[in-house]
Amino acid sequence: MKKDLIGVLLVILSITLMSCQRGSEQADGGPRIALVLKTANNPFFIDMQKGAEEAAKKLGVNLIVQAAEREVDVEKQMQIIENLIQARVAALCITPSGSREVVPAIDKANRAGIPVVIVDTRVDPKTLSEAKARIASFIGSDNYEGGKLAGEFIAKRLNGKGKVAVLEGIPGHETGDSRLKGFREALKATPGIEIVASQTANWERDQGFNVFQNILQSHPDVGALFACSDLMALGAVEAIAAANKTGQIVVVGFDALPEAREDVQKGTMDATVAQFSAQMGAQAVENAYRLIKGEQVKEEVVVPIKLITKETLNSSEENK
Amino acid sequence: MRLRGIALRQDFFLHYGRQLGTLAGLLGLMVVLWALTPHFLTISNLLNVAEQATIIAIIAVGMTFVIITAGIDLSVGSVLAFSGVVMASALHQGVFLPLGLAAGLGTGLLCGLVNGLLITVGRLPPFIATLGMMSVARGTALMFTEGRPISGFSEGFRSMATGELLRVPTPVVIMVAVYVVAHFVLKRTKLGRYTYAIGGNEEAALLSGISVRSYKTIVYGLAGMLSGLAAILLTARLNSAQPIAGMMYELDAIAATVIGGTSLMGGEGTVVGTLIGALIMAVLRNGLNLLGVSSFIQQVVIGSVIILAVLIDMALKRRGR
Repeated sequence: MKKDLIGVLLVILSITLMSCQRGSEQADGGPRIALVLKTANNPFFIDMQKGAEEAAKKLGVNLIVQAAEREVDVEKQMQIIENLIQARVAALCITPSGSREVVPAIDKANRAGIPVVIVDTRVDPKTLSEAKARIASFIGSDNYEGGKLAGEFIAKRLNGKGKVAVLEGIPGHETGDSRLKGFREALKATPGIEIVASQTANWERDQGFNVFQNILQSHPDVGALFACSDLMALGAVEAIAAANKTGQIVVVGFDALPEAREDVQKGTMDATVAQFSAQMGAQAVENAYRLIKGEQVKEEVVVPIKLITKETLNSSEENK
Repeated sequence: MRLRGIALRQDFFLHYGRQLGTLAGLLGLMVVLWALTPHFLTISNLLNVAEQATIIAIIAVGMTFVIITAGIDLSVGSVLAFSGVVMASALHQGVFLPLGLAAGLGTGLLCGLVNGLLITVGRLPPFIATLGMMSVARGTALMFTEGRPISGFSEGFRSMATGELLRVPTPVVIMVAVYVVAHFVLKRTKLGRYTYAIGGNEEAALLSGISVRSYKTIVYGLAGMLSGLAAILLTARLNSAQPIAGMMYELDAIAATVIGGTSLMGGEGTVVGTLIGALIMAVLRNGLNLLGVSSFIQQVVIGSVIILAVLIDMALKRRGR
């Protein structure tokens, strides 16, 4: 039995040491800044991480990137934030998994005197003020405006008349809700267009496939789809192909993932709204760094948003 | 009865030895973390870890009872979400606080009892019955809230998570209380003895006159009610009840139970072991965060620890026999 125990301890020790090495391989010495992502396996957030890492290298920051196993798991995200507070990081950059649920964690960081920079998803201002919590800076793109761009594009493509379906994100996520609001607002201008179905696919590709397949069953005459994220749009594109309707339905996504850009180029998707997540990550680290130095930072940094279509892809290289 | 008492006493060293093994694992892990980071072994971090373990630890108590009967409960995470949103909406309607809490516990209890009846009266395998409940409870929670979280509660309610008793966070106090009661129930009461008896040999339990149906139903009801309790703490902690809360918590609870030495075949296990199992998982996550380990490696490490713990447990069992 003793032998077993020693064996386990050795294995745990070696695994931990091994992983610890990985953790500390980034530049030592500089201030430690943590970036807490919603998830580490979505291209949008992987780009954000890359941007943040590049900025950290430039500034000599020791960057720690952490994410919960599941995007919807706000409690795990809170645990990660609590643990990072215990590890006394100098600043926290967070992409909230829940606009309201993140507030108690922000409050804890405030009490520990750690500045908080929020990235991508806005924190619910009411919950924030009720908890008397503060954030130092918000960095994100104008999701409302992005939704509006998508709506205007679809209205134009359908010539002001037709049926539209929407794939929503996880309800209660500020990003998805704002995109949806902007999209609906844009369509108000064209009464000939009707939203016949609006359902959530929880930001996921396979659910995008299934949900849109179901929508196609009940509304075979749907003329356009707006998916609140590219992953869901890419799932829907497969569903459209499976129904032999490629090219008959206008598909607009959000995030401009590399795969979505390819699909726009191929024509299986019509447009996607570009958010520059790498830029967001870099800006977040930069703001956190300046906060540690005691400098002032802008309360809100809006990273530009852009509609990517086949035309814009062909006409310029800057969209890369 | 007397014969079984002797058998239990012979098993005692086996149980005891295994719990010591799990405890040694936890302590070893803590020593390693202490050596690796100065931030681990501080009072504030240890309290932080204990608080983070509470939700899974409380669900795992119910899971331990269920697994000792040789059953499984896959619905605990969904039942947690459902109980949470029912309680939250009751509180938002301005219901008196204790009544709101009772609504949360009651919803959990009810779901658990339905599980129990499906298994005992309906004769469904526990895996199937609770798999169905997992989906039904989640779906009902989503319907009930139209998918949206219910947030913003009174200070009084939130103190369930934010309060302290002698500097120990309230959730930790509640967790310890639950474990003390559960340990007593399992070791000293009829319900506890019958739980082991049913899991050890259901046929024999039935023949010796135990009302297997009622006791099994009670055990599943208990598991549901503890999910309701976890829902109260989680909602207070996040100041929000989400219909998508607690996804896959059943797996964490099963892992804590199994790491703690409870056999999935039923008939043996202790809540003390489960507590240590839940703490091992929480300490591991905490340590990996403190060290800044990538989240992908974390999953590999946690999975490896679960497999290792059970491998050792089985090796010990073979040697014990």
